[in-house]
Amino acid sequence: RSQPTPYRLETEEKISSAACGYGFTLLASDTTDITKVWGMGLNKDSQLGFQRSRRDRAKGYEYVLEPSPVPLPLEKPQQTRVLQVSCGRAHSLILTDREGVFTMGNNSYGQCGRNVVEDEMYSESYVIHQLKEFDSRVVQVVCGQDHSLFRTKKGTVYACGWGADGQTGLGHYDITSVPTKLQGDIAGVNIIQVSSYGDCCLAVSDEGDVFGWGNSEYLQLACVTETTQVNVPRHLPFKIGKIKEAACGGTGNVVLTEEGNVFVWGYGILGKGPNLIETAVPEMIPPSLFGRSDFNPDVRVAHVRCGLSHFAALTNRGELFVWGKNLRGCLGTGRMEDHYFPWRVTVPGEVVDVACGVDHMVSMVKSF
Amino acid sequence: VSVLGIGHGNKLLTDLHNCHLTKVYTVGGLFGKATDDFSDTGKLVEKTTFDHITREKLERILAVIQGTNHKALLMHSGIDMKTQEAYELAVRGLIRPMGRSPPIITAIRCLQLALPEFQLEIHCLHETQQYLRKVVHEIGLELKSSAVCTQVRRIRDGVFTLDDALLRTHWNLQNIQNAILDCQLKVKTELERTLGLQADRHLHEIDVEKAQAAES
Repeated sequence: RSQPTPYRLETEEKISSAACGYGFTLLASDTTDITKVWGMGLNKDSQLGFQRSRRDRAKGYEYVLEPSPVPLPLEKPQQTRVLQVSCGRAHSLILTDREGVFTMGNNSYGQCGRNVVEDEMYSESYVIHQLKEFDSRVVQVVCGQDHSLFRTKKGTVYACGWGADGQTGLGHYDITSVPTKLQGDIAGVNIIQVSSYGDCCLAVSDEGDVFGWGNSEYLQLACVTETTQVNVPRHLPFKIGKIKEAACGGTGNVVLTEEGNVFVWGYGILGKGPNLIETAVPEMIPPSLFGRSDFNPDVRVAHVRCGLSHFAALTNRGELFVWGKNLRGCLGTGRMEDHYFPWRVTVPGEVVDVACGVDHMVSMVKSF
Repeated sequence: VSVLGIGHGNKLLTDLHNCHLTKVYTVGGLFGKATDDFSDTGKLVEKTTFDHITREKLERILAVIQGTNHKALLMHSGIDMKTQEAYELAVRGLIRPMGRSPPIITAIRCLQLALPEFQLEIHCLHETQQYLRKVVHEIGLELKSSAVCTQVRRIRDGVFTLDDALLRTHWNLQNIQNAILDCQLKVKTELERTLGLQADRHLHEIDVEKAQAAES
C-alpha cells in the first residue's frame, strides 16, 4: 500500500523539525514538555529508541505504526529543547540546545559515536549515547547512510561511522567510532551548512564555496578528481555564483545559489528532462519550472532538499516542487510515475520545510 | 473584446480556436455577500464580514489557485511528461491542452483591493462566464468570507487586445479594413507558431476580397 498524495498527520505538539530515514521517521518539537520527539517506522535497530510493547513490557516493538514518543535520557527535560533531528539508514541523531547530541540505533560502524561492541544486539536496545565533547556547541547534525556528521558553531565539521567511500573525510577508509574533526580543504574554513544522505557529503562555507567528499562513483566530485572515493574534503571550483545551500542525495546533488537558482549534477533523474542522466558539472534548472514568469517575476527557490533518488525545492511563495524517482509515490504528486522535471505538489497550506527519505517524504506546512 | 470574422476570416477563426490561446478577463468582485448564481444580481444567500481580509491573504489564495491550475494545465495537455519534449515545452511555458478540457486558469493576479471591492486579472482557457463567477465565489470562501462577481470584461482574446478593438462609434468600412490589416500579421504569426499551417493561403484570399471591396 502506498500514499501517493500528502496525508495530514495529527500530532500533539507543533513539529519544528522532521527527518526521514531509510524506512522510518522522526518528528521533533522544540517544546519544554517532557515528550519532545516522536518516531514511527522501522525500529529493528532501535533507531527510534526502545518502544515498549503494550502486551509484554519486557519486549520492544520492531515496527512502530503511529508517532510514538522517543524517550530521551535528558538531565533537565523541562528546560532542554530539541533543535533538530536527523535519520540515516538505521541510526538517528537528536540535537539539543544544552545537552549535546543523542545518538541511537545501529552502531556497527561507530556511526553513533561510541565504540563498536562486538555482537551487540541493536534490536530492543535501551542504549542511547550522549555526545558533548566538541570544540563548541553543535548546531547541525546530519546522518549519511552509515555515518554521522556534526557541524559546530565555530564552523568545524566532525564525523564518525563507515568510511569505505571516504564519507568520513578523515583521510582514511576505516570506520571511526569517535567524532573526529575534518581537515582537508575545509580546515580553518567557517562551514555554515553540511549535507549528506547516501555516501557523499557536501559542505557550504560562509563565503559561498562548496566542498565535497565521499563517494564519487556518480560524478559527484568528478570536477576535481577522477577517483571514485574521496576521503578528504575537496573544494569544488564551480563558477555558478555564491552558494547558499547544498543537498546531497544517493547519486545526485543539488545546490541553491544566492540568486535563488538551482543547480544539479551527478547521476539519475536530475530534473532537466529524461535526456540529462549524468553530468559532472552543475547545470541550472530553468526558474520558469518553479513558477517564475513575467507574471510572477519575484518567485525564488528558498530551500533545496534531497532524498536518496529524488529532490525537493521550496519557493519563497511556500510552494513545494519535487522531481526524481517516484518510489512508492514518495513525490506526493498523486501519480506513480517518475518526474523528470520539477512538478508542483498540491498541499493545503504554505510549506515551511520538507524532509526527504528513500521512499517517503514529510513536509511541515503552515495552514492558510 | 469580441472577435468577428468576415468572409474567409471565418476559416481563420476555426484555426484560431484550435490554437487554444488564452483569453484575459478583468473580473470585479465584492466581498461580504453570497448569492445563488455568484453574481451581484442573484438571490442573496448569505452575508459575512470581510474586515479580516488583507491583500497578502488574497494573494496567497491566488497563488494556490495558480498552482493547482498549472498542474491541471500540464495534465490535460495530453503530452507524455516523461519525454524531453515535455521538459522543453514546460520550460518555455508552452504546455497547454490542445483539445477539450475543463476551464483552466493560467494566471491570476489582483489588480486592486479596496474593501469590500476587488478587481482581478484572470488569464484562462476554455472558460465560461459562470466559471469565472464561481472563481470569485470560491475566493470568498477560501478567505473565510464570501464574495460575488460584479463585472466580467474580456480584455484579450488570443492575439486580439483592447488596443485592436474598435469602439462602436468607429464601426465603418475604412476602420474595419484598417483593423483587419493591422491584425493580419499577428494572426498569421500565431497560426504558424501553433499550428504550422499554411495561413498565407487564407490571408491571400482576404487580400483579394479587400481589394474587391475597395474597388466598389
